Amino acid sequence: MSKKAKQMLVAYGLVIPAFMVVMLTVAYPILAAVIKSFQDPKTGEFTWANYTYFFTDPVQLKNLLYTLYVVIMTVVIAIVVAYLLALYLRFTKSKIAKTIGTLYLLPRFVPAMCAVYAMITIIRDSGLINRIGLLFGKDIHLGMMYHASGIITMNLWFNIPFAALMITAGLGAIPDSIIEGARDVGAGKFKTFTSMILPLSLKDVVVASTFVFMSNVGSFTTPYLMGGTSPKMLGIALFDQFNKYLAYNRSAALSVIMFLICSVSAFVYIYSNLKEKEWEK
Amino acid sequence: MEERKVKLEIKDMTKLYDNGDGVEHINLKVYEGEIVTFLGPSGCGKTTILRTIGGFLDVTSGDITVDGQSIVSLPPEKRPTAMVFQSYNLWPHMTIYENLAFGLKLRKIPKAEMDAAIKKHLALVSMSGTEKKYPGQLSGGQQQRIASARSLLLKPSLLLLDEPFSALDAKIRQQMREELKKIQSDLGITVIFVTHDQEEAMSLSHRIVVMNKGKFEQVGTPAEIYDNPKTLHVASFIGEMNFIKKGDKTIAVRPENVSVRAGSGDDLDGTVRTIMLLGHYVVLNVQCGENVVKCNVDRTLSDSLKIGDPVTLKFTKYSEFDTEAGFVPVGQ
Repeated sequence: MSKKAKQMLVAYGLVIPAFMVVMLTVAYPILAAVIKSFQDPKTGEFTWANYTYFFTDPVQLKNLLYTLYVVIMTVVIAIVVAYLLALYLRFTKSKIAKTIGTLYLLPRFVPAMCAVYAMITIIRDSGLINRIGLLFGKDIHLGMMYHASGIITMNLWFNIPFAALMITAGLGAIPDSIIEGARDVGAGKFKTFTSMILPLSLKDVVVASTFVFMSNVGSFTTPYLMGGTSPKMLGIALFDQFNKYLAYNRSAALSVIMFLICSVSAFVYIYSNLKEKEWEK
Repeated sequence: MEERKVKLEIKDMTKLYDNGDGVEHINLKVYEGEIVTFLGPSGCGKTTILRTIGGFLDVTSGDITVDGQSIVSLPPEKRPTAMVFQSYNLWPHMTIYENLAFGLKLRKIPKAEMDAAIKKHLALVSMSGTEKKYPGQLSGGQQQRIASARSLLLKPSLLLLDEPFSALDAKIRQQMREELKKIQSDLGITVIFVTHDQEEAMSLSHRIVVMNKGKFEQVGTPAEIYDNPKTLHVASFIGEMNFIKKGDKTIAVRPENVSVRAGSGDDLDGTVRTIMLLGHYVVLNVQCGENVVKCNVDRTLSDSLKIGDPVTLKFTKYSEFDTEAGFVPVGQ
């Protein structure tokens, strides 16, 4: 055997195990699920019924819109709050800012289940806030449990630190001299923000948004523990289809739908990363 | 001498950082149409002073006036100054046109007037036709020209330059200096220039402020500073200088102020150590005891000498310093 052939063999030998794992555990199940989503559960014939179900059944349609509502609210609020936090961390040099800068990632290190239960003990109608209210003679019922507001609050808890991390990195990459230059030629603080800081950090905002969006479309733990019985988020709806109704074809179709929703944001992410702006060339 | 108009005055200004570094009790008058350079090693406080003038640093105490008006309480955008930064700092997401137009738009200049001004200033810095490009598509030298144009466009009362050419290569740097000097005399603006490059300071300035460790060591014209350095630091920082220890005194003499002849008996005797031809003149290194003295001589003399020959040196012009501290400039 020639030296070159031997090298080839070694190279393929090193790649094949990883390649096989990917093919068997990622590519094959995806392909199988897509095929299954178009099959009639009894006859196995081609059908659109699994898909039309989720867009025509009032309960399922409500689940879909509910999910989009929760996710979009989460993205918008998380990004706005994270941006404000990142601005504060970037442009304030006080001790408090430094402390916040060290601590704000802490929620990332708390296991999701612990965090959700901690939140529940605070916001539920008999929780911490209610008890503090009782001390002052007020019976506060937040009504956030089994309601979108509870899930969104929890999502913010998880996603603000993450989004702030990404945006802080982006703002950190803007040199002071760019901002000083703008001030020097006569731009006030607001104008400096709208003309310099915002356009130069927009890409990080888009990337952070897509990540927050994707990770929340299929979220399970939070809606499972904090969500109501109807409407449900798609992660829970999928769990029902698969584990309770054993409707595998519909489960497959719902998985594909969720994948397509995520892929919109994946497309935005890839597009914003690939598309070099003219000034970045 | 006619009374010159004071453009900038720094009055007993102190700026201290939290760590105790900074500049203290700075006093300086800069006259209209002058180029004044702050020259010193990095960390000497020259950029600190410039940034307090530009408004990017608050002063701890004291006052700064431009045309007699105090500016210390104004934010950078309200000050009659424009700054050109070391890092060019053009705005990367804007075209050259947009970069130049930004400040004019803030001043609500009509479009036609703005276009004309941009065109004129691009021509002034020899960058016509680059309006549609982005800063990233230009070289460092080109970006610095645009940055200068951007500052000049706003007709600042005072132009501040923070080591603007230090990132450029030697040849372009030379060219930019000449251009800056020409633009300055054409427009008659007052310029404060910061650099650590003594050659740059000498070639550009009407007056130089030599700084060291947060203090002014000497303020004067390039000739005054070159010919009569007041301190050892100034003497060593500006131009080439031989330092010869004689007891508790140090004699500072420039290579061109040493006259050399074969033999012995003048101020200092020694032997030729090296002979280097540098074009129209020759650098002779002469070993005099522990000292090596550098002398600039002409070809006729050097051709008659070889390494190891005994020579004697006469100092036609020198300064003498107390080695302990301070300075005692003595005769010439």
